[in-house]
Amino acid sequence: MASGHEHHETFISKYIFSMDHKMIAKQFLITAIIMAVVGMMMSLFFRLQLAWPGEKFAILNFFLGDKWAPEGILDANMYMSLVTIHGTILVFFVLTGGLSGTFSNLLIPYQIGARDMASGFLNMLSFWLFLVSAIIMLSSVFVETGAASGGWTVYPPLSALPQAMPGSGLGMTLWLVSMTVFIAASLLGSLNYIVTILNLRTKGMTMTRMPLTIWTFLITAIIGVLSFPVLVSAALLLLFDRSLGTSFYLDSIYIGGQPLEQTGGSPILYEHLFWFLGHPEVYIILLPALGLISEVISTNSRKPIFGYRAMIISVCAIAFLSFIVWGHHMFMTGMSPFLGTVFTFTTLLIAIPSAVKVFNYLATIWKGNLRLTPGMLFALGMVSLFISGGLTGLILGDSALDINVHDTYFVVAHFHIVMGASAIFGMFAGVYHWFPRMYGRMMVSKLGYLHFWVTLIGVYGVFFPMHFVGLAGVPRRYYSNLEFEMFDEVQFINPIITIFAIFAAFGQVVFIFNFFYSIYKGRKSGQNPWKSNTLEWTAPVERIHGNWPGALPIVHRWPYDYSKPDYEDDYVPQTVPLKDGEEDGH
Amino acid sequence: MELLILLTVLLTVIAVAKVLRAKELVDSFKDPESDPISPAEIKTNAFGMLVWGISFLALVVWMLVEWNKYLLPTSASAHGQDTDMLMNVTWYLIFAVFFLTHIFLFWFSFKYRHDASRKAFWFPHDNRLEMLWTIVPASVLILLITYGMSTWHDVMNQDEAEDAVRLEIVSEQFRWTARYAGDDKVLGEASFALYGKNSVGVATKVAMENRIVECEKTIENLIKDSLATAALVEEEWNKGEKLSDIKQSLRNYRANINRINRLLADYEVDATKYTAGADDLVINSDSIYLPKGRQVIMQFRSKDVIHSAYLPHFRVQMNTVPGMKTSFSFTPIYTNEEMHNATDEEGKFFTGYILLCNKICGTSHYNMKLNVRVVEPDVYDKWIAGQTKFAEAYK
Repeated sequence: MASGHEHHETFISKYIFSMDHKMIAKQFLITAIIMAVVGMMMSLFFRLQLAWPGEKFAILNFFLGDKWAPEGILDANMYMSLVTIHGTILVFFVLTGGLSGTFSNLLIPYQIGARDMASGFLNMLSFWLFLVSAIIMLSSVFVETGAASGGWTVYPPLSALPQAMPGSGLGMTLWLVSMTVFIAASLLGSLNYIVTILNLRTKGMTMTRMPLTIWTFLITAIIGVLSFPVLVSAALLLLFDRSLGTSFYLDSIYIGGQPLEQTGGSPILYEHLFWFLGHPEVYIILLPALGLISEVISTNSRKPIFGYRAMIISVCAIAFLSFIVWGHHMFMTGMSPFLGTVFTFTTLLIAIPSAVKVFNYLATIWKGNLRLTPGMLFALGMVSLFISGGLTGLILGDSALDINVHDTYFVVAHFHIVMGASAIFGMFAGVYHWFPRMYGRMMVSKLGYLHFWVTLIGVYGVFFPMHFVGLAGVPRRYYSNLEFEMFDEVQFINPIITIFAIFAAFGQVVFIFNFFYSIYKGRKSGQNPWKSNTLEWTAPVERIHGNWPGALPIVHRWPYDYSKPDYEDDYVPQTVPLKDGEEDGH
Repeated sequence: MELLILLTVLLTVIAVAKVLRAKELVDSFKDPESDPISPAEIKTNAFGMLVWGISFLALVVWMLVEWNKYLLPTSASAHGQDTDMLMNVTWYLIFAVFFLTHIFLFWFSFKYRHDASRKAFWFPHDNRLEMLWTIVPASVLILLITYGMSTWHDVMNQDEAEDAVRLEIVSEQFRWTARYAGDDKVLGEASFALYGKNSVGVATKVAMENRIVECEKTIENLIKDSLATAALVEEEWNKGEKLSDIKQSLRNYRANINRINRLLADYEVDATKYTAGADDLVINSDSIYLPKGRQVIMQFRSKDVIHSAYLPHFRVQMNTVPGMKTSFSFTPIYTNEEMHNATDEEGKFFTGYILLCNKICGTSHYNMKLNVRVVEPDVYDKWIAGQTKFAEAYK
């Protein structure tokens, strides 16, 4: 691993059990794309039911069969399963595994000037555990009683008792097993990222010369290492309650006409354990996406990222605060009102570093020279979504206001915009921008524009009207909104949302076609197609084992010397030595 | 018709394939080092950003005006007026920031589109500017947080009024049962060990004794069942599964009898706790009544899984958690009729007060409701006088 020489590889060692960070990144990306397609299809299925409840859709019957969609009408239990698995897949398998797995693996060694990850073997193991967990999760959809269906948060006692709903049977056990394996994969990955970033930086790559991508990957990995183990414990205790007769989460329960023997636990304990991961998880998703767009925006604005140090401090502040805000998911659990006050305080503080980040992005594009590439468009789109979704957090994070919007569609709109769509936009920005680095070819830019505009309009079309549904008081996770007369007035919004969702889905077909087409037929890329400063673009297009032939590059400056006065070109790669008397960047 | 569709699809695919082939040929002449995107593309996208920016913000304004009528009507509870005020203040702040930042975002995206003849402005940082947009949001947020925390404090720590109505809402898959405190204005003890015919588990001595008898009878039946299963079911796996289910049930009921015996022992120590329930009023109906202008202290329990009692019109929500008592106090300020008039004036919709489930609780989560009627105090007094006391209803 230490040098760049060619060595013999078989098909299996190159494409399947690869230990090369570039190949592992692609494996993560393609797995995530497949999972995203599954998750998106699920959302379309339940959106059909919400828009036109009780209507017959042949497509539902085709995919789900007579048991779960008799005559094409979605079954209520299947609805719950779809909602649950859609959430789980998107949150964990696409936006956690897919996003960090792809870009941390691809960019960490490249951008810090390393031959590969600190441990290629652990890295490979991380992907294979990820894949196994994905397969277990998907297989849980096919069991007799259906997949887990208590919502992606799977609160006990609902998820602990098979008698509470069909999805709490075998499907739930598989969910827990899958999540445990997933977390193991995620931890192996995170440890590897941290060790690599701290130890394998090339000569001259000080911490304050690292691109913001690397900073966000580092902080994300640290959050993951500190918070994911808590979810393992939550999942294991739940498994014990389900299978071994313990009662960590069960107390005073009378179900199926019987008083349960198990008492003495507390379901609220699970919520604490879950959200101790669950909230940092939001930033595990968001931070890498923000890191990617920081790089994309700066490069394509031909202008240094504004306030590099402020950006790093903001990311660290967000990461720190993310550990002390989990209670804002639990304002309505009957916890002490005083605690509610504390969590309101810490939660709303997060708005400060977030605002700083937004203003810094705006300052970066101000008086820039914007090259609106597909990657740049998605990055700007993410800034828009981050603003729109982030602002409604001021309502949900405020306990007094949360009383009336908690668990309504308002929440669904909020988090889909701020951490769903916005992180997906960040991921798309990353894919378009670094595709040439992954495959040595360019994606078709015109299809990229089409994809962007359709997705942007689709996403806002789906989630903006959804705020109104929530503010009308419609609860989430309802199989149908027709049982309450008071919701009849807003039912007309549901078909609008669904139509936009289908529209957006067509946009993703364009992306998927573009992606796979370009791998084989895309235009050959130059070595540095975006004229970027970072180290990955100094490596040969051929993507050799060990990344650079001969010696590793040496870093002389920070990564954001775009349009620097006294230089003719509008970019100065990190490998260019400082002139006499020139100050380093910021 | 189908043939036509098939033909169209086929032709489209061929057309796309041809276009792509042409593109590949053009690409093969291009130098890989040349710019991957053209100035014309950048210009189109820049105008796209401008057009999108204007239409997006215009649509947002349109929706805020036109769809305002679909939002929840004015609050029907006293504290809700305060939280609504906080909500409005927050909305003004949100929209100020939303429009400001978006105008900058779209305008900059358009205005500073790429032009090969110029260079971007070198502007890596500016301490004063950064201080400004750290301190301003921080100060505004501190005000908002203080306002929010004080509102929350007032809502959650209401003094109990002398004439408050005390009632309990018990949730189970998939219904709500209400219990009002009787003449003593105290809700008697309840225990999950007593659920059965006693739907909310009110703990009186009679209820305990009856429940023991009930459980013992069930145990007898279970033993008969297990003998029958052992004798009749032939497949071994099936027999094993059934027997183990029955064993679990036996353990459940035996544990329950012990629990009731402990309650009985406790009764010997302090009987007063267990007599308060006798005059409680258990309402087996899909509607409950609340008096206008009197404080309502609502306590919540759950029999099986977590549910959440959500009364959108009153700005009230609280989870119901098995093994825990939670509560929320509020004062209704409009009767149903007054609310109808108030919402008509606002141009909004009102179809009656409801309490619905807002925490996923199982298959029929979407259909778990309790109608709430707010009436003048004298009508309420009459209604409550017509309900049957627990001790009489349960014998």
